[in-house]
Amino acid sequence: MSATALDQDAAVQARVVAALAARALRSQLRRAQFLLPAFLLPLLLLAVIASGTSAARHLPGFPSTGAYVGFVVGGTLVQGALLAGLTAGVALAADIEGGFFDRLLTAPVQRVSIVLGRISASIALGVAQATLFLSVAFVFGARYQGGVAGVLVAICIAAIAAGGMAGLASAIALRTGSLSLLQNLFPIVFVFLFTAPAFFPRALLGPTLRHIAVFNPLTYVVEGIRGALHASAALGDPWKGLVAATGLLLVTTALSVLAMRGRLRAL
Amino acid sequence: MSSIAYAAGLSAAMWRRSLNEVVRVRGALLPTTVAPIIFLLGTAGQFGRLSDLHGFPTTSYLAWVLPLSCLQGAGFAGGAAGANLARDIEQGWFDRLLTSPAPRALLLAGPVLAAMTRALVPTTVILSVGLIMGAGLSGGLAGVIALYVAAVWFCMIAALWGSTLALRARTQQVGPLIQNGVFLAVFLSTAYTPLPLLQGWLATFAKYNPVTYVLEMARQATVTGIPPSWAHTWPGLLALAGMSVLFGVLALRQLRRVTL
Repeated sequence: MSATALDQDAAVQARVVAALAARALRSQLRRAQFLLPAFLLPLLLLAVIASGTSAARHLPGFPSTGAYVGFVVGGTLVQGALLAGLTAGVALAADIEGGFFDRLLTAPVQRVSIVLGRISASIALGVAQATLFLSVAFVFGARYQGGVAGVLVAICIAAIAAGGMAGLASAIALRTGSLSLLQNLFPIVFVFLFTAPAFFPRALLGPTLRHIAVFNPLTYVVEGIRGALHASAALGDPWKGLVAATGLLLVTTALSVLAMRGRLRAL
Repeated sequence: MSSIAYAAGLSAAMWRRSLNEVVRVRGALLPTTVAPIIFLLGTAGQFGRLSDLHGFPTTSYLAWVLPLSCLQGAGFAGGAAGANLARDIEQGWFDRLLTSPAPRALLLAGPVLAAMTRALVPTTVILSVGLIMGAGLSGGLAGVIALYVAAVWFCMIAALWGSTLALRARTQQVGPLIQNGVFLAVFLSTAYTPLPLLQGWLATFAKYNPVTYVLEMARQATVTGIPPSWAHTWPGLLALAGMSVLFGVLALRQLRRVTL
């Protein structure tokens, strides 16, 4: 194939990815069953935790970030990313059970584009979520010492993490094709969330959890977000957050592509 | 046959049918048990140091959140009764029941009683996990009884709330709304910290949320600073009775509105 043909093919596939991402995003934004967990649930938990555990600021060693909500909003971004990813898997499983996925397979598009379209939609959803959550927290008193650049880096890390979780959920959806299984995975989101220092600094976690947190990539994601938002190396390293989120995205995208191949072989 | 014996027999039959859900459907109890256990372990690990704060009524945060998780599990079991009723309505089974000569209230009594029985499983499993993890039963037998009464009664209220929504919406899509209602009722209370340590809007909301007092009653089992006493029990009983009347009336009113 000539270089021009390759370029044209890449452009076509990019358009396919964009079209599938737009469709996935529209379906996620139009249906309350996807919208509520991705937007409302993290905001509710933010409100409850910011008010319910704010006395934690008086603990010795608790970092100062101004309003307490400014500290916990990092965890909300990660929770939103997890839920955005999971709802992508739920939507994909619904497509598989509903037959739309089979119709996609008959279209002259590369299989990997189908996976990339879904993941790209979750990244876009992650941007929308993170922007909303940071704005709401700002209205309720959070201040971001990292400025606009810090906020943009935090949004970027959260959005990539959302893509990473979408890759994982898509891999499970493609492997099992079961909508009910994906719907029952919601508690697992909290396993990932609570084994990272999502709402408390790592130094103040229980000893067992502190050891487990080292192996959870979301630990570096949430700390990176906090570090970027508050321009504080003591809170976390944004670069480590970016590397962890990108690594998660690459690994889970590879997993979902492998799951897609496995599904096609079984057809 | 007396009307009381008839009502008891009919309720028992409906109760047995609803319990089949637990016995025959593999994993039916998992969501109501696993999610609260994950929450229990996650919250205790995440916010454990809050018990170091001056004024916290126990030195073990696990002991503080354990009754909350039991209540959450029982509440989810009650909510599941509403979701199952929505499924029965959608699939036409409930319409067939309505054509029977049974009083309508009894059609609701069976599933609610089954939910209360079912709530014993998550409550016991979650309590056992908490005890294995190191929470002590500081309240002894009296505390444990208070915890079980609070959990099973709260399950009944959640079942009535779920049934009201199911009868109104007549679709299984109402399921998340039922469970989110239970979730919110529990968390907009003294879920994480006691009232004196709560700040902002939640402090005001929790003060007027009846679940706060139900939690206080349940916490007599494990929280050293809340020893078993009538003073820690009657507000919870009053809150449970008040919520039962409110949601019972709403469910029965909705049931009367159902037409074939």
